[in-house]
Amino acid sequence: MQATLNIENLSKSFDQGKVKALDGVSFYVNKGDICAVVGESGSGKTTLIRLIAGLEELDEGEIHIEDKLVASIKKNIAPEKRDVGMVFQEYALFPHLSVLENVTYGIKKSKSKKEVALATLNLVGLEGYEKRYPHELSGGQQQRVALARALAPNPSVLILDEPFSNLDAMMRHKLRNDVFNIIKKTGVTAIFVTHDTQDALAVADEILILQNGRLVQKDEASALYKKPQSIYVASLFGNTIQLNKGLQTAFKCPLKEDCCHAIRNENITVNEDCDYVSEAEVLKRTFLGTHSQLLLKLDNGEHITVVTNEPVLGNTLKIGFNSKDVLAFEE
Amino acid sequence: MNLKIKFLKFKRDLNRWSLLLLLILGIVTIPILTIGLKLFDGPGESWTHIVDYLLYDYLENSILLAVFCSFIVIVFGVSTAWLVSRFDFPMRKQLEWLLILPLSVPAYIMAYAYAGVFGYSGLLQNLTEKLGFDNFSIDIMNIYGLSFVLSMSLFPYVYVSSRTFFLAQATNLLEASRMLGISEFKSFFKLIFPLARPAIVAGLVLVLMEVLNDYGAASYYGVNTFTTGIFRSWFSLGEPETAIYLSAILLMIVFGLILLEKWQRRHLSFSSPKSSKKNYNSRIKPRKKNQILFSIFCSIPVLLGFIIPVIQLLIWTKQTFSRVWNIEFISITLESFVIAFITSCVTVIFALLLLFFSRWNKIDLLKTSSKLGILGYAIPGVIIAIGVLIPSLTLDKWLIEHKITSKLILNATLIALIYGYVVRFLAVAYQPLESSSLKIDRSLSDSSKVLGEGNFKTFFRIEFPLIRTGLLSAFILVFIDILKELPLTLIMKPYNVNTLAVKAFEYASDEMVSSAALPSLLIILTALIPAIFLNKLLLKNASDS
Repeated sequence: MQATLNIENLSKSFDQGKVKALDGVSFYVNKGDICAVVGESGSGKTTLIRLIAGLEELDEGEIHIEDKLVASIKKNIAPEKRDVGMVFQEYALFPHLSVLENVTYGIKKSKSKKEVALATLNLVGLEGYEKRYPHELSGGQQQRVALARALAPNPSVLILDEPFSNLDAMMRHKLRNDVFNIIKKTGVTAIFVTHDTQDALAVADEILILQNGRLVQKDEASALYKKPQSIYVASLFGNTIQLNKGLQTAFKCPLKEDCCHAIRNENITVNEDCDYVSEAEVLKRTFLGTHSQLLLKLDNGEHITVVTNEPVLGNTLKIGFNSKDVLAFEE
Repeated sequence: MNLKIKFLKFKRDLNRWSLLLLLILGIVTIPILTIGLKLFDGPGESWTHIVDYLLYDYLENSILLAVFCSFIVIVFGVSTAWLVSRFDFPMRKQLEWLLILPLSVPAYIMAYAYAGVFGYSGLLQNLTEKLGFDNFSIDIMNIYGLSFVLSMSLFPYVYVSSRTFFLAQATNLLEASRMLGISEFKSFFKLIFPLARPAIVAGLVLVLMEVLNDYGAASYYGVNTFTTGIFRSWFSLGEPETAIYLSAILLMIVFGLILLEKWQRRHLSFSSPKSSKKNYNSRIKPRKKNQILFSIFCSIPVLLGFIIPVIQLLIWTKQTFSRVWNIEFISITLESFVIAFITSCVTVIFALLLLFFSRWNKIDLLKTSSKLGILGYAIPGVIIAIGVLIPSLTLDKWLIEHKITSKLILNATLIALIYGYVVRFLAVAYQPLESSSLKIDRSLSDSSKVLGEGNFKTFFRIEFPLIRTGLLSAFILVFIDILKELPLTLIMKPYNVNTLAVKAFEYASDEMVSSAALPSLLIILTALIPAIFLNKLLLKNASDS
């Protein structure tokens, strides 16, 4: 499949080279795909999308959009000429312009401007809101206007910067599905930044993990979850317990020494029919609605926290996990 | 990063805005560069005489003035700011903004007024006669009197900066201090005063720059300072070279002050309790006796800095109105306002260009250097005047020699005067524009660019409509500063043009100080607008924070 966005060896530093925000990042996004960029604060997510949009200048590497070189050490095409659309974290709607004026802002064809804008507003479910001003809209409606404004000029690549971070949980879930259905409908290639892995797992065709400015893994959602390449990636997608020497002794599971091993929290069960089992004393029970969290003390004194849906009686129990669930990473 | 990569990046990032920014910076820094370059020509004949007999005097007087003024403005500025921010007492609300009003009275006008108040048959003598003291008078035409009038006109700078700090101050620190058994007043000296130091010094540096810039008051009171020395060297001795040498020393003092202010602010982020959101929401109501004391104490600087001089000017205006109010005066007023209007427009445009060219330029070094463009406000007007006169004279001579023109087209013309004003007051326009543009979320202009609009269109469609308030404040502040400006105008104004400030100065110098009252009052009345405006802004910022 043809790649719409191609990034090669991208690096960027700030503060005269003292702070390395991105370090040799390379990847591509296929036409029509939705790619999520996930990482902790300061991992370089925002720098990456600002470089793609042309709002920052790169230090090393190249950026190609639709096979056209848009940024390199010698060349930097201005953002207005890159054919990129962007939905900003705070939406960045122009406060002095109406909804319609906001959406027509980036449309170049002067004749059909209004028709295109109205059709895009229709697409995002905001017909009838043309004359309103941004401050007269709810957070979710502002988000839709921002999306309509970015889609209206029909860009090659659509960038979304933490698009749902300003919304409450209920609204977030509904809007997330709506937004990505719209994006899929238009067929635009999209790249979106999020620190919420649930967003990424739910809608992205591919997920890209950044850590300290480096690309540590790029894969499909299920592959990332099942086969994380580092403890960092594993812990981004759920509670993960590193199987250190003490835990290995407690569970009597001798593992290879040149590897780092971990087990997902949900794979440790209150069950003695597992490959590796240990006796545990319940130190504390915390009821969390759908499940309970137990703080346990193992035979050898190690502490561990597990979650369970089963009622737990008594102060001692047996917990265990199976060898197929053990995650192994190279040190 | 190796040199080749650096060069490639530089070549990539160098755009037309970088070049235009360089051009603007070049234009506004010519006067300072001129002073620097002219130093290599050597001093004039009188330099040795000045060094032997006068330099010490200039230095001593300037330092004494700085010390006396610092003391007075801190006493009045900080204490009144603390009282109105922390306590509730009768007239507090009125005093809060009345304390800013002395800013509308230029120091030289304050000097004329007080010469009248303390002079023969002045307000003081009339009052003491009624009390039974005959021929009671105080001579204030000396360095102490000068320190007093300068301080009374300038203390609001410290009042405003301290009050801004106190209004944003966290009560939890004070409450913690009180809970540890420290009284309110002890807490002020042990806790709040050291915390407020950066804010106080920032205001104080502005005061000191104005003190060093003053010519009108010092020359009227006969006190030799650097500024009067520069005037004398240029106009009485006819030695621009000596004036330049004195200017260079004064410039070094000013830069020293700027560095001192920057140095003392290096830990500002640690000392200012910005993180706390809790502000003074309830003021302490002191005992009745203290309430009256606080009201009286806060009224003193208002009385001395505004009411008394204005009363004196009103009395004089009543006596001289029929003599001063004539066609010439009306035409001077009009000229003043037209010059201030045109120059304010030009200055605001220059400030906009400097701000946005710097933003659109992508070379970091140039971005940092763009601040050089606003250095003019720190440089005394007399130095800027010299820095403009020399290159404009040289250019005029060159044009005449090469028979391009037959007469002077720059020197002693409105063009040179406006240029001088722009250099001097660019910072006054730049700061409100910068702060209002910083309030616009960066993503708005980024968003416009991603949507296909270039820098210029983004500016007109997005940024310009959103910084209108900043533009208005910039315009008003520059307008008033130009109306009040004296030393630069005195040196650079064309022969056939006059301004209200110069007219007031001429009347005062010609022993007709009472006639200076009408132009002075007009300046004060106009300058009252930004004083009130500033107070509203201060309250708005405090409520925002």
